[in-house]
Amino acid sequence: MKFEDTSQNLRSRLWIVQSLILLMLALLGVRLYYLQLVRGQYYAEIAQNQRIRLLPIPAPRGDILANDGKTALANSSPIYNVILSREDLRDRKLISLAKPLAEALAVDGDILLDRFEQIGSQPAFESILVKQDASPGDIAWVEAHELEFPELRVEQQPQRRYPANGMLAHVLGYVGEISPEQLKQPNYKGLKPGDVIGLSGLEQTYDDYLRGKDGYRKVIVDSRGRIQDEIETIAPQPGQDLVTTIDLDLQNVAEEQLRTSVTQRGVIAVMNPNNGEVLALASAPTFDPNLFSRIGTKEGRAEYVAVLNDPQKPLINRAVQSRYPPGSTWKIPMAVAGLEQGAITLDDSNLVCGGGIMVGNKFTRCMGNHGTPDLKTAITKSCDGYFYRLGLKMGLDGIMTMIDEFDLNKRTGIDLPNEVLNMTPSRELKKRTQGENAEWKDIDTVYASFGQVYDVITPIALLRTIAAVANGGKLYVPHLLKELKPVGEAGAPDYRPGRSFQPLDSTRPNPKVLPIPEDMHHLVVEGMWGVVNNGGTGAAIRMAGFDIAGKTGTAQVVGLGKDVGKNKDHSWFVSYAPAYQPEIALVALIENSGFGGQHAAPAVRRVYDVYYRKTRNAEPPGALPVAKTPKPENKIPVKKPETQIAKNQ
Amino acid sequence: MVAMIQKRGLRDFDWLLAFLAIGIVGFGTLQIRNAQPTENYWVKQLIGLGIAIVAMLLVALNDYRKLINIAPAFYLFGLVLLVIVLIPGIGLRINGQRAWIKVPGIGQFQPSEFVKVTTAMMLARYFGKHRDGVLTLKEMAIGGLILALPIFLILLEHDVGSVLTYLPILAIVLFLSAIRMRYVVGAVVLGVLLLPAAYWVGVKTHLVKNYQQERINVILDPENADRRGFGYNTWQSILTVGEGGLLGADTSAAHSQSSLKFLPEPHTDFIFAVTAGNAGFVGCILVLLAYVILLSRLIAGAKRAPDRMGMLVIMAIVGGLTCQIFINIGMELGLLPVIGVPLPLMSAGLASLIATFIAIGFAISVQLRRFVN
Repeated sequence: MKFEDTSQNLRSRLWIVQSLILLMLALLGVRLYYLQLVRGQYYAEIAQNQRIRLLPIPAPRGDILANDGKTALANSSPIYNVILSREDLRDRKLISLAKPLAEALAVDGDILLDRFEQIGSQPAFESILVKQDASPGDIAWVEAHELEFPELRVEQQPQRRYPANGMLAHVLGYVGEISPEQLKQPNYKGLKPGDVIGLSGLEQTYDDYLRGKDGYRKVIVDSRGRIQDEIETIAPQPGQDLVTTIDLDLQNVAEEQLRTSVTQRGVIAVMNPNNGEVLALASAPTFDPNLFSRIGTKEGRAEYVAVLNDPQKPLINRAVQSRYPPGSTWKIPMAVAGLEQGAITLDDSNLVCGGGIMVGNKFTRCMGNHGTPDLKTAITKSCDGYFYRLGLKMGLDGIMTMIDEFDLNKRTGIDLPNEVLNMTPSRELKKRTQGENAEWKDIDTVYASFGQVYDVITPIALLRTIAAVANGGKLYVPHLLKELKPVGEAGAPDYRPGRSFQPLDSTRPNPKVLPIPEDMHHLVVEGMWGVVNNGGTGAAIRMAGFDIAGKTGTAQVVGLGKDVGKNKDHSWFVSYAPAYQPEIALVALIENSGFGGQHAAPAVRRVYDVYYRKTRNAEPPGALPVAKTPKPENKIPVKKPETQIAKNQ
Repeated sequence: MVAMIQKRGLRDFDWLLAFLAIGIVGFGTLQIRNAQPTENYWVKQLIGLGIAIVAMLLVALNDYRKLINIAPAFYLFGLVLLVIVLIPGIGLRINGQRAWIKVPGIGQFQPSEFVKVTTAMMLARYFGKHRDGVLTLKEMAIGGLILALPIFLILLEHDVGSVLTYLPILAIVLFLSAIRMRYVVGAVVLGVLLLPAAYWVGVKTHLVKNYQQERINVILDPENADRRGFGYNTWQSILTVGEGGLLGADTSAAHSQSSLKFLPEPHTDFIFAVTAGNAGFVGCILVLLAYVILLSRLIAGAKRAPDRMGMLVIMAIVGGLTCQIFINIGMELGLLPVIGVPLPLMSAGLASLIATFIAIGFAISVQLRRFVN
């Protein structure tokens, strides 16, 4: 120290200061060591991630095609959506954006707010759809307000489109955004909020295959989320195209018949009895599946609520989600089972009609008085009295055996979601519906034997039964999938192989074989042939040279034939053709239209006409006078038709 | 006498100190350019360096005793500047702080940086007299007053950060002016005990506002604090530093934290983070070493000072510089809350640069006259 230092230890005080300074800088060095060398890798990763953004390129769903493999029933076309990305939201409150965005992009503010609340509260959300199908004006607005709303982005997205008239709506189903509940389910693993999935119909059943794999653009963004650079692009992989078994000509005529029917409500379903392929499946009234893509608008939502609350329930697929008493169509499996179980025999199938039956003190009448008909006549004339007595001979156990053999106590296994289970007679059923002390009585067996009260089944289950009778006992699983087409190069890691239909429940035999001895089979078929061709209840639709075998039915709604107004009985007609070499099986149900032969059968005739033209290349013959019952052995040989259906056998 | 100084000047001029300072500024300018490649801040910094070197030479070649003797005039001039900055129209308001004067051609100028030097001079003059005993309370009070005037004016600018860098100037002057050791120990103990207690009481009584608590939380746990709000700057700074690793990040310049604007104020308050990102741990340690050598050199100069006044002015400057370096880098490394304090010699900014070089000029001047008495 140059100057006189008499104050307190200046030298050591300077030393203290210097040490303190060194200590402070050393502390910074230690912190640097920790941040850069110990944790450097970790921070570098976070720093990189915040400037790299993966912008998804949504993959188009596979198309759904008619059975020609060409005509599209549902496809995807690109539209522009305005979306809001979470990463760029920063600390802005999502809710506060709803109002300005709703005004600027002309979307409904309440709906937008709902979406923000619903999707924004999910931890995994990455983006929210603000406006679907944005106009060029909307896109220009988003681009012009990049600074004000950096969290907005315009994204191209495939939009699902369906036939606007609601054709096949119940079969195709529709798509929509995945719900929070679905996100938790294991089969939707890997999806994120806002992703589009099939919510009904084939779209739902085959969602895994139809859904593509999203691609992405890897971009560099600045702190405000503006794209600065693009690093790489992974193209999306489209979903697999689905070829259905639907024959558009048959589908169109089936839907038209329902549309023009008295009540405009009902089902027509057509199946190839030789393999279970569903050629047409119409349920009326129908709905426009495109409606679900408009649900983000006020009008769309109102439309949706209207459809949802429509008392006619257009969203229900009546073929698989509704149950009806089969009425007299029930006599067909009864006839087969009666023969098989020995309640009647080939040589002696005659039972008394009696105009009805007295059980206890209750008389249940027949629609006519048929004397003591044989089985063939009983079917042709639809003699109730005959089947009351057949039912009593078989007993409840016999009827239950029949139900089990025809799989009527199970779902058919059709590849559509939410198929309902039939209700079939049993002692438990009676107890369940009428109390613990309700014992099964003979009168209940009478009811169970003519397709009312205890028998309530789906049209598709009935069609499957008739198809099995047609082909001699093979119960195929009805299905709409013909083929899923492969996507990608074989052997590539993202290759998705094609596949054909397999029952969703793989433990079920397809077909389930019900051994019906051929002579018994012929006897029942003769009866059904007579319904149309031998002055039976369906004689009006007879086609010469194309033997339709069928059975009318009337499903009791209030009491059989009692109500003639709004709650009239449902009219059934089940059939197949040609009688001894079946190609096509058909079920028709017109709700609340009254007696079976009257409404359901003529509708069916139009479908057969179309089928005939298609496969025979000729005009269908008109109804001709009653001919003599042909024996199976001398029936007119029908040239094997060269149809797609035939090729599929 | 002037001739003698100039002849001796070549031998006694502290070339190492001067070149070390210029070297740090040069490296800093490179980082400013890295931080804002599209702006001309780095050019302004080079111009500022030229002005600063001239100012340093002017101070170095004048007798520091003469300068300190007229310190009251400088001090008053500084106070006037601090008043002027408060006048709307002249003072520029940036980020809620009215701390800048607009200078045509150069940009803005922050008087509080400059006033640090005049305050240090004033303190050195007052405490620089020959001393026999311990500090009296009256002396301490007058020292406190010298500091309080500029601090009061700076608080009116809402520039809390600058105030923090003033306090160690007085502390170090008092410490070296024979303040009783028991006061020092007492103050340290009291500080250690009272600070957390005061914070706790403040939180309970809501005297410490929510946003202030948030800022504290950010420092205690930057990882889990509000990374998008209060903690954003700290978190981004930590990421930038961390990404630097050993030798600097491998990210291209166009995609760096500062280019993509994730790191705020990269050329001023967060210049060290930019440096850390570009030059890595090795570069950072070299910068810290440069500061250590610079400060040690200044302290060595203080030890050789011919009088108490010279020693105090250098040590006051050392205290101010150290405190700024620690607060700034500490903030960038997530050790301290975000306070707008520039890093001496590296952050872009004219006033800070000139003030630091004037301070170094003082140190050189003291050394040049160590044999003259």
